[in-house]
Amino acid sequence: MRSLRSLEGVLLIDHRCSMGVPEEIMVSQGLPKDAGKKETVWESATVTCNHCEAQVVLNPDRSRPRGFCMHCSHYLCDECEAKRFLGLPCYPFKARVQDYLEAVDKGSTPEAAHEAIFVQGVRPAQSVVMLDSSPATSQVSQSPLILP
Amino acid sequence: MARYSQGFQSVTTTSGGKADATAYVSSGYPFFLQGGTSTMQLKVNELQCGGEATAASAVQILQFGRDSTVAVTSISGNFNALLDATSTAPGTTAVFGNAATTNPQRSTTLGKLIQHSFNAYGGLVRWQARQGEEITVIGNTASLGEVSYSPFTGNVAGPVSGHCLYELC
Repeated sequence: MRSLRSLEGVLLIDHRCSMGVPEEIMVSQGLPKDAGKKETVWESATVTCNHCEAQVVLNPDRSRPRGFCMHCSHYLCDECEAKRFLGLPCYPFKARVQDYLEAVDKGSTPEAAHEAIFVQGVRPAQSVVMLDSSPATSQVSQSPLILP
Repeated sequence: MARYSQGFQSVTTTSGGKADATAYVSSGYPFFLQGGTSTMQLKVNELQCGGEATAASAVQILQFGRDSTVAVTSISGNFNALLDATSTAPGTTAVFGNAATTNPQRSTTLGKLIQHSFNAYGGLVRWQARQGEEITVIGNTASLGEVSYSPFTGNVAGPVSGHCLYELC
């Protein structure tokens, strides 16, 4: 049985032999201000948003609940969490990829399959991916993992 | 399937970088990686970049993300190598490089998958994904068929080298 921790990647920024990057630049790029500190190594866990594959740097100081989809049991980035909150059904990126390949294999043009699956987010009737079929809810879910 | 490393050496990033939806300058960005066919699937699982500036601070603001315009015509630059020397290369491989007649443009909505900010004067940065959590490239058209690693607005020109490990599925 996997844990959410087992899904984590890692981002390392090594400035041991460098003067680093000013705090304001790191913050403007969505990274913690101490990530570019001179003469230090900064390392953080990252998670892949399961709906769009953006990398989320886990901020240990975050106090808001982190986006989490109970259907695919993965963390989400803030943008996908907003869509989930508004009621969009869970359709993981890797499931879309499998459906896209299947649609093209069955004769659909790549352009049409791309438009339907990735742009409009429509699951094919004969989707090859098993997903949680319970209706998407807009309930707020607290991440099961509360970082210190 | 086959795992590859795309490497780039001493690429001097464009001064000032490039905003989203703006064409890159040939040889002014580390790389792009594009599917070789409409059904090719690539999984990116590591991205590493080290600075080589020798005299002055050179803050790199690099972004890895999907492209809304893909590279076409006269593609060149970089190198691509099988990680396992005993593997047999597939008949069609990924398209890669850092120069083209029509250079890529970073997507405004999908162009921020990973943010790398570091100082090219002695700094380096690396991202690794857990197995199964890689970034997928599917097909060979915009916006999911190509990813790129490029300097964003505010970047200071500086030489960088590094690699991108990916699996061709």
